[in-house]
Amino acid sequence: MKRDYQSQYYTVFTGASSSSTSAAGGSGVSDVRADVAGKSKMWVEGKQPEAGYDELLAGVGYEVKSSDMFDVAQKIEHLEGVLGNDDGLSQIASDSVHYNPSDLSSWLESMISELNPIVQQPVVIDDSFVNAADDLQAIAGNAIYPPEAKKQKTSPPSTAASSSTNPNAIVLVDSQENGIRLVHTLMACAEAVQKDEIQLAETLVKQAGILAASQAGAMRKVAAYFAEALARRIYRLYPSSQRDSPAFQDLLQMHFYETCPYLKFAHFTANQAILEAFSGKNKVHVIDFSMKQGMQWPALMQALALRPGGPPTFRLTGIGPPSGDNTDHLQEVGWKLAQLANTIHVEFEYRGYIAESLVDLEPAVLDLRDDEVVAVNSVFEMHQLLARPGAVEKVLSAVKDMKPEILTVVEQEANHNGPVFLERFTESLHYYSTLFDSLESSGGGGDGAVEGGGILPASAQDKIMSEVYLGKQICNVVACEGPDRVERHQTLTQWKTRFESGGFEAVHLGSNAYKQASMLLALFAGGDGYRVEENNGCLMLGWHTRPLITTSAWKIR
Amino acid sequence: MVHIHDHDAEPYRFSINDHLDLLIEVLKRLDGRSLGAAACVCRKWCAIARNDSLWEHLCFRHVSPPPVGVRPVVSALGGYRRLYMVCVRPVLSRLKRRRIGGESEVVRRVWSQHEVELSLSLFCVEYYERLLVGGGRVAGDSPASSSLKFLCMPVNV
Repeated sequence: MKRDYQSQYYTVFTGASSSSTSAAGGSGVSDVRADVAGKSKMWVEGKQPEAGYDELLAGVGYEVKSSDMFDVAQKIEHLEGVLGNDDGLSQIASDSVHYNPSDLSSWLESMISELNPIVQQPVVIDDSFVNAADDLQAIAGNAIYPPEAKKQKTSPPSTAASSSTNPNAIVLVDSQENGIRLVHTLMACAEAVQKDEIQLAETLVKQAGILAASQAGAMRKVAAYFAEALARRIYRLYPSSQRDSPAFQDLLQMHFYETCPYLKFAHFTANQAILEAFSGKNKVHVIDFSMKQGMQWPALMQALALRPGGPPTFRLTGIGPPSGDNTDHLQEVGWKLAQLANTIHVEFEYRGYIAESLVDLEPAVLDLRDDEVVAVNSVFEMHQLLARPGAVEKVLSAVKDMKPEILTVVEQEANHNGPVFLERFTESLHYYSTLFDSLESSGGGGDGAVEGGGILPASAQDKIMSEVYLGKQICNVVACEGPDRVERHQTLTQWKTRFESGGFEAVHLGSNAYKQASMLLALFAGGDGYRVEENNGCLMLGWHTRPLITTSAWKIR
Repeated sequence: MVHIHDHDAEPYRFSINDHLDLLIEVLKRLDGRSLGAAACVCRKWCAIARNDSLWEHLCFRHVSPPPVGVRPVVSALGGYRRLYMVCVRPVLSRLKRRRIGGESEVVRRVWSQHEVELSLSLFCVEYYERLLVGGGRVAGDSPASSSLKFLCMPVNV
């Protein structure tokens, strides 16, 4: 029994593979002992190992009770996982006193309890999983996956976590630890993809899939989407370049609009900037690069209708991609808006322009009139232009030709356009994790007492559609390259540089926009998590400490 | 002693239904829930309680300063009763709860201009959504459409 422990432990420390353990048997152990005994002569003054302590480790200066050996192994593995977490490292770097390191067991415990106080849970690791873990050991080290698991407490494998390929599924109950493992696996896979180590990447992406299934909530979904995107990249199953029909994209975006406040925030803050730019003017013209279903404009029309002095003549030009099917989608949206305008007595004129990409837009066809004031609006459209070199500059100069009073831009606040794949992957993993987290909190229960006008059908469908919407973005960032990769998000600072070199300067969004945005967010369930921040005159909406989208306004210098 | 009852002078019974102006004055001072309950009393009361001007009064009696020119817009978008049910009530109670968290009375608060604007904007968006969904027709009393679902969801208190 004792010998088994020793050989097992020896394996963990020196990195020999599991198959060599059994072969080593007695002779291997005695060889090591001789070796260690030789070394221990260096510590001649050191104490003799007391009864009950492991002799091997005592020889190198650690006192570990044999009965504790298994626990120590587990804790080392755990510590390694925790150390991988950045927060852990910063805490270690701080001045903290740890107990006597020669008492290995309690030292580990003190380290772990400082870094990450969670309770050790029983873990079942399947044998077949371990055999396939050779590749993993190459990067993660043996501490992560101890070779033998027979001595551990077992619990029956849960059918929920079983994957179709592996009937003896892994039940990893300690989900926080596995969350860390999952992130590690995803990152390791991305690194392997970056280095073009396809075999390794394949193994890792499968691990990631299995680990993801053991998680719950937002983590599970994010991990699943990222794992899928990585798999697409590895197996070159790129999403078809023929994108989803605009109607389907619009539908997904509508659900996203309803579930969480990001789009509403975008619309309300942009509208406020446009409203202020239009104050006192009698003929106004809005050119919308992101027409979709036109959800932004009813609120603006209502505000114009109620402004002191009465509404101006409101002209709207909507720009959108071709519909695919034979319907003229842009025109239909225009009809509905016209109906609304008629209801609230605002003089309204509408024109729709179909353009495959914004680059194709010519200001001359827009029928710009001298006596009207122009505003240009773009919600989540600018970043797509970065897929084609020179496109942004061309569009910005076209915008300048339109002579707008104001240009409102709403973009994701993240850098998903770096040249290095691994950096993009890391950035987007953090970004979408935060986004999914916020979705998780905003999902309505549909159960129990409901606040306002009646019980509405559960918004589970909305939430799922929103997740699909975001999942498509994830897939695009991770799996696509070249002109297909259109989700090229950039941060405000980067956009600022571009706009300024394009001849624009920033316009500060006023306090009205800020107040309205704060109020809007307070209405949402989970409203405490959302934060509005003002950053150099631009407004950022974020979840807890992480800004997620930014509204900014620009005018010609 | 003989008490002679004068049959022409019957004991005076007061019925509020004979004095609708008084009824309206009373209803004006109620909160939304009570006004809704009043509409369930009888047909006459239902007709009176559904009068939009009562709901207009309810929506904006605590607004300082009172909004100008709002009425035609609100009427066109579905009326004050709908505005109250769909936007004003949830907005007020959510915002109040976040700020004070104490009283349960929704009414005794003064709105700010921003809250009015926000409610009206949301109301307009909701009207537009019904347009989109209804294929060009807006049903009269249809339930609140999806963009305002978030207002109806339970909020963590």
